[in-house]
Amino acid sequence: MSSGDSNLSADEIALYDRQIRLWGMAAQARMRSAKVLLINLGSIGTEITKNIVLSGIGNLTLLDDHTVTEEDLGSQFFLSKENVGYKRLEVTKDRIQELNPRVNLTYDVGKFKEKDAEYFKQFDLIIGTELSTLETIELNKITRRFNIPLYIAGSNGLFAYIFVDLVQFDAVDEKLKSSVPVEIGRISSNKEVIEVNVRIDEDDSKKIYEKVTTRHHYKTFEDVLQAASLKDKLNRRQLKRLSGAVPLTFAKFNLQNNQACPTSEELRKSMQAISNKFGVPVENIKDEYFEQFANQSGIEFAPVSAVIGGAVAQDVINVFGKRQSPICNFIIFDGITLDMPIYEF
Amino acid sequence: MAGRESNIVKIVGIENYEKIRNCKCLLVGAGGIGSELLKDLILMQFGEIHIIDLDTIDLSNLNRQFLFRQKDIKQPKSTTAVKAVSHFSNSKLIPYQGNIMDTNQFPLHWFNQFDIIFNALDNLAARRYVNKIAQFLSLPLLESGTSGFDGYIQPIIPHLTECFDCTKKETPKTFPVCTIRSTPNLPIHCIVWAKNFLFNELFASSITENNQDEQRLEDKQDWGTEDKEEIERIKQETNELHELQKIIYSKDSSKIVNILEKLFIHDIEKLLLIENLWKTREKPTSLTLEHIESSKKIDVSKLKLDQIWSLEEQIAKFINVTEILMNRYSIEKSIEFDKDDEDTLEFVVTAANIRSYIFGISMKSVFDSKQIAGNIIPAIATTNAIIAGLSSIVSLRVLNLLNYANVKKPTDINMAFTSKASNISNQRYLSNPNLSKPNCNCAVCSKVCRGVLEVSTVKLQTSTLGELIELIRTTFKYPNDVSVLDVSGQRLLADFDFDDLLDKTLEDLKLGEGDVLLFTDDEGDEDSNQFRKSLELYIAVVSDKSDDYIKLPSIEVPLIEKIEEAESNDMEEEINIATNANEETIILIDEEEALELDKQSKGKRLEREDSSDKDNIKKIRTTNTIEDDIIELD
Repeated sequence: MSSGDSNLSADEIALYDRQIRLWGMAAQARMRSAKVLLINLGSIGTEITKNIVLSGIGNLTLLDDHTVTEEDLGSQFFLSKENVGYKRLEVTKDRIQELNPRVNLTYDVGKFKEKDAEYFKQFDLIIGTELSTLETIELNKITRRFNIPLYIAGSNGLFAYIFVDLVQFDAVDEKLKSSVPVEIGRISSNKEVIEVNVRIDEDDSKKIYEKVTTRHHYKTFEDVLQAASLKDKLNRRQLKRLSGAVPLTFAKFNLQNNQACPTSEELRKSMQAISNKFGVPVENIKDEYFEQFANQSGIEFAPVSAVIGGAVAQDVINVFGKRQSPICNFIIFDGITLDMPIYEF
Repeated sequence: MAGRESNIVKIVGIENYEKIRNCKCLLVGAGGIGSELLKDLILMQFGEIHIIDLDTIDLSNLNRQFLFRQKDIKQPKSTTAVKAVSHFSNSKLIPYQGNIMDTNQFPLHWFNQFDIIFNALDNLAARRYVNKIAQFLSLPLLESGTSGFDGYIQPIIPHLTECFDCTKKETPKTFPVCTIRSTPNLPIHCIVWAKNFLFNELFASSITENNQDEQRLEDKQDWGTEDKEEIERIKQETNELHELQKIIYSKDSSKIVNILEKLFIHDIEKLLLIENLWKTREKPTSLTLEHIESSKKIDVSKLKLDQIWSLEEQIAKFINVTEILMNRYSIEKSIEFDKDDEDTLEFVVTAANIRSYIFGISMKSVFDSKQIAGNIIPAIATTNAIIAGLSSIVSLRVLNLLNYANVKKPTDINMAFTSKASNISNQRYLSNPNLSKPNCNCAVCSKVCRGVLEVSTVKLQTSTLGELIELIRTTFKYPNDVSVLDVSGQRLLADFDFDDLLDKTLEDLKLGEGDVLLFTDDEGDEDSNQFRKSLELYIAVVSDKSDDYIKLPSIEVPLIEKIEEAESNDMEEEINIATNANEETIILIDEEEALELDKQSKGKRLEREDSSDKDNIKKIRTTNTIEDDIIELD
C-alpha cells in the first residue's frame, strides 16, 4: 500500500462526510490508495463490491468468468433479465462504476484457475467468494507467499461463513479506561496485547482512554481445517445452543476437495466425522435441520449475502483505515437464529 | 425450477413462496436502511412493496444510499429508489413522497392493507407513531436502526412481544443556563451558546417576539446557580443583545466590530467582575482590540473547512460571514440555522471558537463543529446492509414461512444487534436474544386497551360528545366518572367537573380521521379498588357506510388494580437540549415540554463495557436512532 496523497479534496469530504465522521480523514485517504482484488461476482461478491465501491476504495479489480443465469436474477441486483447468457462482468460494469465514478475499476474475465501466482502480487488485499476448499487452500498459499491479507466468504442458503487470514495484524483500539487496567500478554489463542497507552481527552480531562495495541496471529485455511475443534472450549449450555451450521459448514469443507454439491449421504458421513473432531454430539443436529442444510447447498440468498458482504466489506475498510480490531479468524452465520459466532481456530 | 424464484423456493418451499408473492409490505423510509431493504425484499420476491419517504436526495447520502446518483440530488427518495431498482425488480412497487405521520395521506385504514411493516426510519417520533399504528392494527413490525458501526433489529409482534416503547429511551443531555452563558468548559457549550442563543437573538426573529420568548423561558428555567448577581447579569446581557440586532438591521458592516467588542470584550469583562464564579475556575481572557485589528490582514478565501483556524482567522471569518448574513437578513427578514447553510454554519462555528479561545477551550474545525451543531450521526453502507439483511431474513420467521423452523411462540424469534462492531463482544459478531414479552408497565402496548372507532361522515356531524361517551360507557362498562382526552390535540374534552362540551358534535370539536381519544376511569370501584383499564380509540371516518354508522372495536376492557403512578417529577429543572423530531435543531425548552419530550428523545452514546445481552440490547436500542435526527453528546 503506498501512502498516497493524504489530502482529500473538498468534494471528497462532502461526498464521504458521514463516514469520515466515523473513521477520519486519514483512513479515508488510505482507502483511496488501496488496491483490492475480488474473485467472483456472485451474490456475496455483489454486496462486497457495492459496499467497498461506495466507501471510496481507490482501486478494485473484479475477476469473474461466469455467464449470467436465470437463478442469478434472484440474488444479484446488478443484473436484469436481458443479461442472461452474457458474461457477468460485461453486463454489470457500467452499473458498478455508476455507484462511484471516483473508483478505479478493472474488469478481468479471465479464469481464476489460470492465473499464475505473480498475478496476485499486485494487490494489497484479496477477497475470494464462492471458492471450493481446494481453490481456497491454493489461493491462501499464494497470499501467504506475498504476505497479502485474505478474506474468504461463502454461503449455503440461510447459512454462511467468513474466513480471514491477515497473517499478522496489529490493531489499535481505544476505549474508556475501566477499573481493571488492560495488561500486556496473551488474551486468547490468537491474540496478544503488546502495548497499552493512556490518553486523556483534550476537552474533558476526566475522560481517560486506553489505547491498546493487540497483535492478531492468523492461521492458514489449511491449518484451520486441521486444527478446528470446539473440544473443551464450550460449556454445556453453549454446546446445547451451538448452531448446527458450525459442524455442517466444516463437514462441507471436507467434502469439497472432491465436489461442489455433495449428496445428502456424503454430507451426513462427513458431518459425523466432524462432530467427533469438534466434540459435538451428533444428536445435536436434528434430521430436519440437516436435510434443509443439504437441500440449500449451492443456494445464494440475497439477504444473507447482504449480512456477510456487509461484514466482510466493513472489515476490509477497517484494515485499511486501521480502525477497530479485524475479524480473527472464522465466522459462521445461521440465518434461522441469527447466531453469528466468531471463532479463533 | 430454474428462474429468479428458484433460490427462495428452495428455502421456503413452493407453498410459502406463493405466500410471499401475495404478501404486501410497507417499507417506511427510503434512506440508508430503506434502500438496502428495498433491494433485499425485491430479491426475496415479495409480491408488492409500498415505499414512503418525505425526503429528497442530498450529496452526503451517496456514500451509502446506493440507489442514488449525483444526478438524482434534490429528487424525491421514494420515486428515485423505485426507478433505480426497476431493472432487477419483479415486484409491484408503489412509491409515496410524504410523511408517514400525515393522517390525510395515510389514514389508519390505509395501513390495514399490509401484511407486514418494515421501519427504516431516522427519527423517534415516526418510529413511535408506526409502532402505535402496528399496535392498533395488530400488524407485525420489523423495527431497525443504525448509527455508525452500531445497529439493531427488533421484530415486534403486537400484544405478544415487546413493542418499541416497552424500553425507556433515555433523555437528552441537558445543560444549565449558567454553563452555557457564563462558565463554558467544553466546545459544545460554546456551540450551543453560538447557535441557540447568539444566532437566534441576532437573526432568527423580530425583536418583540424574542422578548416574549425570553420572558417565558426565564420564568421557568433552571439557571444552575443561586447567584443573584449572575442571574441579573445574564438577563441584562440578553437585553443588550437586542441592541446588537439593531446593528444587523442597519446593514452597516462597519459596525460588526462593535458586535465583536460587545460579545468578546465587554461581556467578558463584566463576567470577570463576578468573583464568585472564578474561585474554582480558570478565568476567561477577553479578546483585545489588537486581535481584531490584526485579523483585518487575513484573506478568508484561503481557509479550509477541515482545519482549525487561528484566532485571527476566526475573527476575520466572523466579520466576513456576519456581513453576508446582514445583507441576507434585510431580504429574508428571518434566518434559521441550518447545518447545510454555509453562512449560518460558519457564523456559529467562528463565534463558538472565539468564545472557546476566551475560555481556554480547544477550538474545532468547521467540519467537526458541523457534526455537533447539526446533530449529524455518522452513517455507513456496511452497517445498513447488515441490518437490512437481518431485518429481511427474520421476516421469514415473523411470517412463519420456514417449515423446518416453525415458530411455536413469538418469543422464539430473535432480535439482533451488532456486538463486535459495538465493542461489546469479541466472540460474537451479533448478539441475538429472543424477543421478550410486552412490558406490563408500557404505556403504549400494555397500560391501555386500543381499538378503532369507525364512524360515518354524517354521524360525525350529528353525534354529540355526550352521546359518544354514553355509548362507550355502556359498551365497555365504565362507571359515571370518566375523563375524555383528545390525545392528538392534547386537550381535555370532558371530566367530572367539565361538561361544557357534551352537547357539541364531534365535528364541532374538530374531531376526525386520525384523531385519538383516551377514555379513563376516574371513579373505580371503592370496594375492590379496581378500575376499568383506559381505552384509546383511533377515529376512522368511513364513507361507504350508512349515515347512522358508528362502530366500536369488538374488544373487552378489563378491570385492573389501581397502581400508584411513580413520582417522576422530582428531577431538577434544567434547560433541555432536545432535538425536535422533524427539524435538526437543538431547542431550548422549558420543563413542561421537557417532560413531553422525555418520551420522544434518545440517549447517550453506548457505554462500551461487557455485560449481559439484555442490558446491552437496552443500551443499543436507546442509543441507536438512525442518521440525522439526534444530537450526539458524549
